[in-house]
Amino acid sequence: MAMRVLTLIALVLLSLCAEAADKLKVVTSIPDLADLARRIGGERVEVLSICKGLENPHFVSIKPSHLVAMSRADVFVQVGLSLEVAFVPGLLENCGNPRIQPGKPGFINASLGFAAIDVPGAVDRKLGDVHPQGNPHMNLSVEGGAVMAANILKGLCAVDPAHKADYEARHAVWSRELDAALQRWKKLGETWKGRKVCVYHQDYAYIIRGYGLVELGSVEPQPGIPPTPSSLAKLIAKLRQEKDVCLLAAAWARRSELEEVRDQAGVTLVELPNMCAGLPGTESWIGMMDQLHNRLAEAFGKQKGS
Amino acid sequence: MHNFIPSAFTLLFSASPLLAQGAAFQTPGMPRQVYGPPPEEASGQASRFSSVFNPAISFVGDFVGDYQSGAEEVGWNAELRSLEFGAQASVDPTAWAYFIAVSDGESLDLEEAALHYKGLGERHTLRVGKFFLDFGKQMQTHVHELRTLERPLVLREYLGDEVSGTGVQWDYWFSADDKTAVRFSLGVFSSLLPEHEHGEEEEPEAEAEIAGRKSLANLNYSARVTGFTDVGANGTLQLGSSARFVPDFAFVDEQGGGEADGLDNTVWGLDATYGWKDDTATKSFTAGLEFLVNSGAVGAELGAAPGDAPIVADGTRTGWMLFADHGLDPSHSIGLQISRAELGDEAGSDATEIEAYYTRYFSEFHRIRFGLSTLDVDGEDDSFRAAVQYTFFVGAHGHGVNW
Repeated sequence: MAMRVLTLIALVLLSLCAEAADKLKVVTSIPDLADLARRIGGERVEVLSICKGLENPHFVSIKPSHLVAMSRADVFVQVGLSLEVAFVPGLLENCGNPRIQPGKPGFINASLGFAAIDVPGAVDRKLGDVHPQGNPHMNLSVEGGAVMAANILKGLCAVDPAHKADYEARHAVWSRELDAALQRWKKLGETWKGRKVCVYHQDYAYIIRGYGLVELGSVEPQPGIPPTPSSLAKLIAKLRQEKDVCLLAAAWARRSELEEVRDQAGVTLVELPNMCAGLPGTESWIGMMDQLHNRLAEAFGKQKGS
Repeated sequence: MHNFIPSAFTLLFSASPLLAQGAAFQTPGMPRQVYGPPPEEASGQASRFSSVFNPAISFVGDFVGDYQSGAEEVGWNAELRSLEFGAQASVDPTAWAYFIAVSDGESLDLEEAALHYKGLGERHTLRVGKFFLDFGKQMQTHVHELRTLERPLVLREYLGDEVSGTGVQWDYWFSADDKTAVRFSLGVFSSLLPEHEHGEEEEPEAEAEIAGRKSLANLNYSARVTGFTDVGANGTLQLGSSARFVPDFAFVDEQGGGEADGLDNTVWGLDATYGWKDDTATKSFTAGLEFLVNSGAVGAELGAAPGDAPIVADGTRTGWMLFADHGLDPSHSIGLQISRAELGDEAGSDATEIEAYYTRYFSEFHRIRFGLSTLDVDGEDDSFRAAVQYTFFVGAHGHGVNW
């Protein structure tokens, strides 16, 4: 009898192990992609994001766990557009995992097919930390979610064609949620045209362009270039001429400079999420974009001009 | 004969597309060099002037202006410390290669020229050529890339300011668990002694030299094993151990002609580094410690008379360095480094160096650093240095795993 029980336990454990081993190991560069991979992959995937929700994706450092995860991954998902140039090339080179190298089915470039804005005519560091393929913050574009999800769906199906139907079904469910969210965001944003904003970094450029907001300036004089006292003074002088300006910034933006601009120029500081899983209520990509829209709506709503 | 001329023309014209892609002069019996890529405009063929496969190039300028007192030379100075020129490109699907040449404005030295071969399999790297010694956390790095103005005293004394050897090194890494990676490297080189500095007028001293040709046992060897792991959500800890073995070398009095040969030297070290970044990855703290043991022939002084063999100090010396660096944000960092070493003289005197610095990054590729340092050597006056270092990086750059 004891032998049978032991055999049964062993079989159960073996089947559990087999199930765990059967899951696709997915590593993503940012948590937004992790959320989408979980939504589309469901129980079929184990997902790890390298970047955390509050981080500046331009300054992420490689950790040992990242290297180990990449070496074991079946699928790697990145935004691309040179967003993760600080850490992805080094990880791909050092992890020694041929399954996830560019060109292999396990490598998913989530921005593939996305029409990036601000593609520089000539690449020159005079323009700052310029990204040759355009503004890389497509995860903060309302159109970006569908593109990222479609690329993840395509990639998962290529790596694991046996479960293609499952992935497509989950993608369809998520797409319906996205359609509803797009309606919400459109309704919120339809009155924003002409609203004046200033930014710390160019991470909200897609939102600004998409809703017709007017960008009056940037704390960073060029993308990725920290402000100098004179550039801050010029910006403050310009903003003082304006009324009802919101200063949009992510959690990683330097607080002292934001507060200096806010206090001296009289603008409204609005902290926005720049990735999932940073601020409360941003655990999913749709939730993060909801938060972003709600915070903007709240900030615009409080202004005199509303 | 009248058939020969048309035949020759036919042969010439039929061969011309190939010639158009070949070298101007082809050494008989040597493999044909084929240049270039995809078709170019008029010819429809690639030519030797095609640039699409050119390597990525970069250069780095490193300038230092300083004042020092108490040292042999007192006063103000400004110098182009180094202008580094480099290029890198894939050789084929299994390898990439690079070189780094450095000039101080007077001479041009090739510091590194190596190929990384990845064809041995996952996680293996075979590095062939001339490249920096893999020892501790700093010796792989060029001086201008350090967080301090100079390489720490103990590393300069026991290994050299910059040590590049010509040889081959095998690297392999594996995961010990979900959060821990372990890497080791083994290298064999013709020489791992620091190259003599050129263009500097120094007092005559016994120079360490190594024979050009030597037995297999007398080649120079390096080894390093290091493991690093996540500590909490935002930290990492790295521990490492390194060794450099020079089994046969000589101290030479280049002016007097005396020589003490048949010497050996071994340096081994332990290193520990803790790194932390805040939730936004903009504030950071890094602290590290390296402990080195230098044994065998650790130094030499000139003999009493010209032609006498240098007097060799034989024994064991120890030294250490400790640093802490705080990144206030991506644009500003401050730090302190202390290094102490028993020197390679018969008396076994000590030296201590302390350096404090502030670095302002105008961008990722452009920075200024202000440093204050003191050097206290037994039996000598203390020296003090205040320096400004200005460094820029142009062109291709990369970020990798900092092993």
